[in-house]
Amino acid sequence: MSSVRVSSSFTPRTVVQAIENASKNTQTGFRFLDEYSEAEPFFSHAGIERASARFGGALQSLGLGKGDRVALILPDNADFVFAFLGALRAGIVPVPIYPPTGLGKLAGYLDNTLHIVEKSGASVLVTSAEIRRLLGTVQSRAPDLEQVCDVQNLKSMREQLRPEKIELDDVCFLQFTSGSTSRPKGVVLTHANIAENVHAIMDLGLKAQSFDSGVSWLPLYHDMGLIGFVIAPLYHVNAVTFLPPLLFLKRPVRWLEQMSRQRATISFGPNFAYALCNKRIKESELEGLDLSNWRVAGCGAEPIRAENLRTFAEKFARVGFSPKAFVSCYGMAESTLAVSFSPVGQGLVVDDVDGQALWAEGKAKPAPAGSDLAAGIVSCGQAFPRHEVQVFAAADGESESPLPERTVGELRLRGPSVMRGYWNETEMTREAFAGGWLKTGDIGYLADGAVHICGRSKEVIIVNGRNYYPQDLEWEASRVDGVRKGNVIAFGTMKPTHDRERVVIAMETSLPEGEARDALKGAVRRSVQQALGLTVDDVLPLDIGVLPKTSSGKLQRSKTRELYENGDLLARTSFRRTDTASVVKEVVKSQVGYFRHALLGGILGKKE
Amino acid sequence: MTWTRDRVREEIIVILKPHVQADAPLSETSQLVADLGIDSLGVMEVVADLEDKFKLHIPDDALREVETVGDVARAITTRLEREGRLTS
Repeated sequence: MSSVRVSSSFTPRTVVQAIENASKNTQTGFRFLDEYSEAEPFFSHAGIERASARFGGALQSLGLGKGDRVALILPDNADFVFAFLGALRAGIVPVPIYPPTGLGKLAGYLDNTLHIVEKSGASVLVTSAEIRRLLGTVQSRAPDLEQVCDVQNLKSMREQLRPEKIELDDVCFLQFTSGSTSRPKGVVLTHANIAENVHAIMDLGLKAQSFDSGVSWLPLYHDMGLIGFVIAPLYHVNAVTFLPPLLFLKRPVRWLEQMSRQRATISFGPNFAYALCNKRIKESELEGLDLSNWRVAGCGAEPIRAENLRTFAEKFARVGFSPKAFVSCYGMAESTLAVSFSPVGQGLVVDDVDGQALWAEGKAKPAPAGSDLAAGIVSCGQAFPRHEVQVFAAADGESESPLPERTVGELRLRGPSVMRGYWNETEMTREAFAGGWLKTGDIGYLADGAVHICGRSKEVIIVNGRNYYPQDLEWEASRVDGVRKGNVIAFGTMKPTHDRERVVIAMETSLPEGEARDALKGAVRRSVQQALGLTVDDVLPLDIGVLPKTSSGKLQRSKTRELYENGDLLARTSFRRTDTASVVKEVVKSQVGYFRHALLGGILGKKE
Repeated sequence: MTWTRDRVREEIIVILKPHVQADAPLSETSQLVADLGIDSLGVMEVVADLEDKFKLHIPDDALREVETVGDVARAITTRLEREGRLTS
């Protein structure tokens, strides 16, 4: 067992140095589970060093050199990890891309992939043989892309890695994020960004030690899986067990079985992962599980619903899960990964505030828990040392006057984990900052310096000077029977001819037209009225597949509003009802955005 | 144990039923997602239940071929047949 690391002695290292330093360790490392194979390939940290060197040498032999970009579309966890780390060791900049979203949605997928490949200027794309076939046309459409390479070929190469000098300020990799209003943008992360954020996560946040070990089913083309469970454990020489994301979705208990079997201490998941365990894991499956070593159960990447986590803690208490293990997290790709964590060992911290004052005045006034007025906002802890979070009025273009505590505004960030900018996007980079602070687009407040998130700024609905967060309306509407969960969009509109913002809720349902839908409208109105004291002007039950989604499956709130405003939303409904073939073509994705979509990519596509 | 095509179809309906929204009609040509309103996580649950019921492995890439209730039935019967567990 090693001694506790002292944060003041932090010396930033590149990821490459971290891999090399860790390679003395032949005991712990990465274990890769596969659904149908009993074999669990294990690579010690020494083995990781060797495997990544082979991949690095192979990539160099393709003609790639320092600073060149290589796109990676690798659904197999082990392939991805070694190709990614191999590129880093050669100074080549990897660009992870999520695997195809199924055969049917191929056109949209190819479009997105092409955009990322073109934007990044990648000259080589490494993928599996199967996906390579699907990508057919991408190569001819991306001028800089010279070759699409089967990962099996790379694995058979035996080229030596030619050492490259890698500096802290060198670009480490490009993390493409997808927004609902724009095409994916490539967040530029340097080795320095990563060293700082890993230090913040592991030393300052989790107080990680070398005996800590992780289990992760998170997709590796997403920051939480990639930085949190591949890169950070290399710096800290920890053991990690990886499960395929789809295996977790199919059989959530496999996540907990591995936690138990590996006596793992750290794992993370978005809110929905805990909810899925609540719903899907049977009492009989708890037999033999022991979750008593689990000391950090991180939750982030999605709005956190305290009641989901509480249910999880109750359900798994009898197999040793401690509610103190919950760590609620705030973060974003533009700040490498993590911005703030709630303190380790304290469990969920909920700030009960007066919901009326929060919405009406933008003030987070404490309210008695359980009272009618109380809205529970989960605390995500304070910014890490040397990193800053402040709240500003959206109109404060230069970030001149931070708002006082418990005042709602836009969260902005500053510090060594914040990205340099978006790759090849000067204008978007300029717009992302205000007076040197990164604008997160998230609405929230600070209380005792701790971050509390209320929603996303652009989507706030303002009625008579009061702010409402669409997520809250959508959540309430989703609870009504008959509403298709996760397929609800709330928005405000000034049209057609009103002097105030009208509140609209559009949701998908499989209920037939007529009485059933009328009853549903009433139920949704009542539910929102009771929960938020807000009268909804228009409730629109729509057929399944009507709500617009991005190619990555995210619900498009502003697009929905636009369709509503020019009368096309209802037209879509009737058009689709008469033309079922086009309904069939519409790929229907449920739930919250890129993360989940990225996970589910590949399983729900429709044939064109 | 061995299965017949009819019994496979019946079992599939039993497995799908809890995921189907309200009174959406269930037929061979019903689309799992578009018609029956089964969401992406629901599909994974259905797959797990099918695997348990029929003692089969349904690999992830097989799911790409599945759109309708009929496709599900075919995916199951093909595999049962291959293993000699289907009687006609």
